[in-house]
Amino acid sequence: MKYRIALVGNPNSGKTTLFNCLTGSNLYVGNWPGVTVEKKEGNLRDTAKDITLVDLPGIYSLAPYSMDEIVSRNFLLEERPDLIINIIDASNIERNLYLSTQLMELNCPMVGALNMMDVVKKTGVEIDVREMEKIFGYPFIEISAQKETGIDELIKLVEKTVDIKKLKEFPQIFPQEIMTLFNEFDELIQNKYSDVLADYPRLFRIIKLIEKDEEVLLKIHENGDLLKDIYTVRKKIEALSNHDVDSAIADYRYRFITAGISKATQKTKENVIEFQEKLDQVLMNRYAALPIFFLFMFVIYYVSITLVGDITIGGIEWFINDVLMVAVAAGLGSLGAADWIIALINDGIITGVGAVLTFVPQLVVLFIFISILEDSGYMARVAFIMDRIFRHFGLSGKSFIPMVVGLGCSVPGIMATRTLENERERKLTAVLTPFISCGAKMPIYVLMASVFFTKYQTLLVFSLYLVSLTVVFGSGFVLSKTWFKGADSGYLLEIPPLRLPKLRNTATQVWERTKEFIVRAGTIIFAASVVLWFLQSFTPSFQMVDSPDASILAMFGKIIAPIFIPLGFGNWVASVALLTGVAAKEMIISTMSVLLSGQDGSFTVAISQIFTPVSAYSFVIFVLLASPCMAAIATMKKELGNWRDFFFALSYQIGLAYAVSFIVYQVGSRIFV
Amino acid sequence: MFTLKDLRPGQKACVGSIAVEGLMRRKLMDMGVTPGVEIQVNKTAPFGDPIEVRLRGYSLSLRKKDAENILMVQ
Repeated sequence: MKYRIALVGNPNSGKTTLFNCLTGSNLYVGNWPGVTVEKKEGNLRDTAKDITLVDLPGIYSLAPYSMDEIVSRNFLLEERPDLIINIIDASNIERNLYLSTQLMELNCPMVGALNMMDVVKKTGVEIDVREMEKIFGYPFIEISAQKETGIDELIKLVEKTVDIKKLKEFPQIFPQEIMTLFNEFDELIQNKYSDVLADYPRLFRIIKLIEKDEEVLLKIHENGDLLKDIYTVRKKIEALSNHDVDSAIADYRYRFITAGISKATQKTKENVIEFQEKLDQVLMNRYAALPIFFLFMFVIYYVSITLVGDITIGGIEWFINDVLMVAVAAGLGSLGAADWIIALINDGIITGVGAVLTFVPQLVVLFIFISILEDSGYMARVAFIMDRIFRHFGLSGKSFIPMVVGLGCSVPGIMATRTLENERERKLTAVLTPFISCGAKMPIYVLMASVFFTKYQTLLVFSLYLVSLTVVFGSGFVLSKTWFKGADSGYLLEIPPLRLPKLRNTATQVWERTKEFIVRAGTIIFAASVVLWFLQSFTPSFQMVDSPDASILAMFGKIIAPIFIPLGFGNWVASVALLTGVAAKEMIISTMSVLLSGQDGSFTVAISQIFTPVSAYSFVIFVLLASPCMAAIATMKKELGNWRDFFFALSYQIGLAYAVSFIVYQVGSRIFV
Repeated sequence: MFTLKDLRPGQKACVGSIAVEGLMRRKLMDMGVTPGVEIQVNKTAPFGDPIEVRLRGYSLSLRKKDAENILMVQ
């Protein structure tokens, strides 16, 4: 017998950590049908039974407001798991049990995992799990996913509970007079509208109808009579509770919880002010908060881009150029392979894929930092600090997190937009994140600065970041009032306690993100490199070229070059470099170096012959702003979901880049003649 | 009559009623801001908004715009 069980709980409850504990290493990521959110599945470890564990997104309630909530709810309602593992952050037990009271309405067997018990015990609180089971109607186990305690017991409990055929009834949360109203209403529904939400669990259906839940309203198709009946029962509840229906239902749930935990928990000693609280006061200090944030950003950027880059890039390039390529040439040569095959593998595939893989060490370090920032709870604090600024530009503090991630690579940055609840804000952030210059664009700035702006290198790079920030805020301001117009979702964010990140968790996250990056390099960039090499090595009549000038690629370049004349770089080399840059931004430099290699003098001399300082600046601005690389474009499509927004985003990014570069060149070339 | 926005850091009071409209209202309730619950203001963000409050044993941050629609009683 195969079982499918779901892991459900609040964000910040340690769900990911527990999932990794419960499944070990056998984990794979798949897509939800029709939805762009990824779910994780893995096999439960240490069990003779065939149990698949599904990790649902962290949610606060089963209300259908965020993508995460809708996904979790639909899974629970439609796929009907054999069991729910309800993970509860026991150090925040009251708010966490709110979701539990909703899960209790789904008629699904459940076990509760009281997580972070190590923290709870330190603060002098004891929880009586037998009492909890009596009150809430399902068994609980004390665990610490961080310290990996209680995991075996949890697995045993899950094994035992999935086999229980008859579901025990969950206790009654609402007072008797409200239950009477619910039951009367349900009888009415079953008599008058028997086809309405017939497959929903009974209590869930009653409450969602009475709450006028948005998803449910869509399903009852403006049934006027039913709406009238709902109105009547709502009035009755309001009269009974002295509150409006929303407050009343939430209030009854919380009352049930507070009454329950006052019986089941005991405080044995007063907790003292912790070190975390003092640290928090410093991190969010009125005057120090921003400097500390920028210091962190500087350190992260400096260490991953500069420090690690200096150490690794030279070595990797040496390995690729002087070891790997030489070995391939010698090896294939001795096997009698044709020259063009060796050229394809060396100049096409290894050069193209290698250019991307060169950045892996830097990205790994960057991912480690970002994962630590996320797990420690600092990101939420940054969102809290930045919200005031971001709201003026149609965003909220939460939009800042994807952008910070985007400093390293736009792909994980765009993926990080999933944490935003509001669809409009999420899409807008996904479109703006590529404007934040990613690490792969850095080498281009450095090259141009060293050729044309020797004295002002730092100033040039700094000015680019200013341009990028201006564009992000300006576009946010304009787009939030035009294309991505809509209601402000507001800002409501839990500030989790500061925690020391768990090494194993960081490692898993870093590995998953890096793997994704490498897979892209092995698929998209691999394919693009092969295509590019062909275009670059053959003439339109499919003869091998003598100089790149005669290739199909050069022909393309010459056709599109006139488009860039108003921007100051209407030469075919720059045009082709921009084209290949679509595969990966790192390829812009390598393309230019390959294409200019036939000419006399060094690469930098050749560059200074086809650019002027003004056109070089115009060129880097275009690279900075024009739509990102293929991997990021694909990610953007995935997160935007539909073609309409996607094409708009692409044309906006390219159009804006063109406009800004146009202005820079036209104004600049008149001032600095 | 005073609101959550009127509380200074360190002060606490109980929620009387919630005059916030729309989606935010439901979200506040899901997060435990219901009539009768005690809320303490922890701090204000460096730029003066949003604020961080403590309720039901955890910390939540919200904008002043919403805080001023949460009516409090002593």
